[in-house]
Amino acid sequence: MRNVSGSHSGLNLWLVQRASALVMALYLPLFAIYALSAGALDYAAWHALFVPLAAKVATLLFVVALLFHAWIGLREIFIDYLHPMAIRLPVLFLFAVLYLGCLVWAADILWVLA
Amino acid sequence: MQKTRPFYLNLIQIRLPVGGFVSILHRASGAVLSLVVPVLLYVFMVSLQSPDGFDRIRTLAGGLFGKLVVFGLVWALLHHFLAGLRHLGFDLGWGEEKIRARQTAWATLVVAILLSLAVML
Repeated sequence: MRNVSGSHSGLNLWLVQRASALVMALYLPLFAIYALSAGALDYAAWHALFVPLAAKVATLLFVVALLFHAWIGLREIFIDYLHPMAIRLPVLFLFAVLYLGCLVWAADILWVLA
Repeated sequence: MQKTRPFYLNLIQIRLPVGGFVSILHRASGAVLSLVVPVLLYVFMVSLQSPDGFDRIRTLAGGLFGKLVVFGLVWALLHHFLAGLRHLGFDLGWGEEKIRARQTAWATLVVAILLSLAVML
């Protein structure tokens, strides 16, 4: 029987959790400053925030970090409370698929803006 | 070794140090934020699709229920963010002494609430 508990991948995920936290901890304050410097946010100003390519790329990198971070965090919780592998693995798979979908969706939201 | 060790998990009577509360709230806020990701993406999409959608989101967030939800999410994000910075500090060996860890735990709790209120005003 193969070991599917994921106990071999703990350190890597631990590191990814820190790296993704760092990306978000840099993006969020910088984006807040960027948005606040645009003045009163009506639709035109809000839309204009995401038109520059650099803003799209930075925001998508933030989303990637967020999705990795969320999945690893949920995995920690499921390891504590969802013990049967026959339940835990499908749930982890479901969230992986959901979050991959979210990534593609986020890319579409950003790249249709011009 | 004793086979049956004492087991005491009455959540009402148990007394947690402040770091325990910060830790539980870190996990709870993280779980909530993880689960609302698709909802937030939808809100993000609608807000960017048209001036009409932007106004719909603004009206929704401006109502009493909307304000409560926004406040809850802002607090969850800020608490998770600050508790996370505290953990990154621990990873670097900063603030591991008992007194220091207690101080930063209190600071996380209080600053997250104050900042959330400031954002809402």
